[in-house]
Amino acid sequence: MRIRAPKDFWAGLIFVAIGGGFILLASQYRLGTMHRMGPAMFPTLVGALLVLLGAVLALRSFVLAGEPVPRFYARPIGISLIAIVLFGLALQWLGLMAAVAVLVVVSAYAARDVRPLENLALAAVMVLFSVAVFVWLLGLPLPLWPDR
Amino acid sequence: METLSNLAFGLTVALGWQNIVYCFIGCFLGTLVGVLPGIGPVATVAMLLPFTFGLGPAPALIMLAGIYYGAQYGGSTTAILVNIPGESSSVVTTLDGHQMARRGRAGPALGIAAIGSFIAGCIATLVVAFFAPPLADIALRFGPADYFSLMVFGLIAAVVLARGSLLKAIAMVCFGILLGLIGTDVNSGVIRFGFGAPELADGLGFVALAMAFFGITDVVLNLERSGKQEVFTSRIGRVLPTREDLRLSFWSIMRGTSLGSLLGILPGGGALLASFAAYMLEKKVAKPPRAFGEGDIRGVAAPESANNAGAQTSFIPMLTLGIPSNPTMALMIGALMIQGIAPGPQVMTERPELFWGLIASMWVGNLMLLVLNLPLVGLWIRLLAVPYRLLFPAIFVFCCIGVYTVDNKIFDIYQIGALSALGYVLLKLDCEPAPMVLGFILGPIMEENLRRSMMISFGDPTVFVTRPISAAFLIAAAALLLAIALPALRAKREEAMQE
Repeated sequence: MRIRAPKDFWAGLIFVAIGGGFILLASQYRLGTMHRMGPAMFPTLVGALLVLLGAVLALRSFVLAGEPVPRFYARPIGISLIAIVLFGLALQWLGLMAAVAVLVVVSAYAARDVRPLENLALAAVMVLFSVAVFVWLLGLPLPLWPDR
Repeated sequence: METLSNLAFGLTVALGWQNIVYCFIGCFLGTLVGVLPGIGPVATVAMLLPFTFGLGPAPALIMLAGIYYGAQYGGSTTAILVNIPGESSSVVTTLDGHQMARRGRAGPALGIAAIGSFIAGCIATLVVAFFAPPLADIALRFGPADYFSLMVFGLIAAVVLARGSLLKAIAMVCFGILLGLIGTDVNSGVIRFGFGAPELADGLGFVALAMAFFGITDVVLNLERSGKQEVFTSRIGRVLPTREDLRLSFWSIMRGTSLGSLLGILPGGGALLASFAAYMLEKKVAKPPRAFGEGDIRGVAAPESANNAGAQTSFIPMLTLGIPSNPTMALMIGALMIQGIAPGPQVMTERPELFWGLIASMWVGNLMLLVLNLPLVGLWIRLLAVPYRLLFPAIFVFCCIGVYTVDNKIFDIYQIGALSALGYVLLKLDCEPAPMVLGFILGPIMEENLRRSMMISFGDPTVFVTRPISAAFLIAAAALLLAIALPALRAKREEAMQE
């Protein structure tokens, strides 16, 4: 037995895991009857369907040939995620201006052709822009500075 | 005649100075963001959603609609000048449009796209005005079982007409439904799948989901690809097409418009399918069959009219049934819900100013796009010269601030991060996000209708096949699935998607 469609195989496996996970989590709620469906009924039904589809997908990948899983590049996704998390932390503790600056400065490194000085300038522009548009123009309740 | 008086009423709403301003802002911002390569209409609408929070429902929806067709149009500009479709529905525009640009005819290509879109938009507005009310009337008579089956049909149709693997698409729908069920169950008050996090009691954020899957992951994948593109910014020439161009493309525009209007109504149809189908039709029927793929103006006129018509008629199922036919419409429904309006057939009778105002504003918006785009083409082109390394951090800023302002919860920012990671893995495995987003929106509504129909039928599942309307939808859904499973038809579908 050889996996001939790795993309389908892994997608199928993920779907089985997700469907199974939802069924497992749903088991702590009341199932009810078909007449009076409890909160667990619908998620269990859909989860079962997802497990079934995932299983078919994964098993089929032993028969039908398909594409290999493409390479995962750590840098773009990794740095983007770090930048987003830092934005959240900074917005909570330091306010909007610092958060936008951090987001721009860090996320720019997700690309290979980053230019440090240009990046700082962009951060400054984006800070000014966000404050002007979101806070002054649209009046959205965003904390500009640290609260305390 | 009632339709005409309703349209007139809608025009008084749409032509109120406030709504005109919002329509203008929407079209302008939509085009502005839509022109930027690599940002599709879904991401554009999601990113600009916070701009509508301070508005009432009617201006908010009018502005969002403006953003939507602005983004559509902006995508075509990118397609013609950079050969990168700004969105999937302008993929075919790159074929002849970019060839025209290479031959120094970028101006007329942009011009005919604007003119074609305008004509298509005007006709499609009338189609929406005449077809939506009777459909809403029918929908008002639907019972819960009928609704459930309609949604099954809608989801299946959306999946069948989408690209990629059918099995994966249906699985993604299921995954979307499950994600949509996270949060407080309205019937029992139980918080489902909350992992003890009180922030999840209100459910997963739809805006976070849309931005993660269509904004952040798209940027990440673009960064992985990064290659040089040739941009034609210097020689645009005159924008107005010649009389010969207009004569040649008139029937293409008409054919594109009719096909687009028709396909837009179908669930899963919308702009994408419309533009593909229109281009294929044009290749078959256009006389003389000159060189398609080598810069034939009709190869721009037809799909551009079709995608605009389709974009507009896809509002019909959204407005009358409360069912999104594509992710953008799902966002519109999300926006309606944020405004506290339950989408469905009752919107037309309960909020006529919203319904007819939106329809009339479509026409106003199309006029604006025409006057905005022909003179401002120079400005849009300059935007294309902005390098991506400057652009994408700005996209991140918009996404992060946008998702926070929906509820002012820091938690939503971490949500967008987690969902982006998930979206990245799924996209790498060729699992398309569009079906998932539809499932996410429809999941809770389906559960509600399933529960109600089971209550009424005392737990008898045959109710779905004994009620004629419900049975018709299920048969249609089964027929669609069967049709796509048949090898001959599947080959045809793949061929169509290849082009």
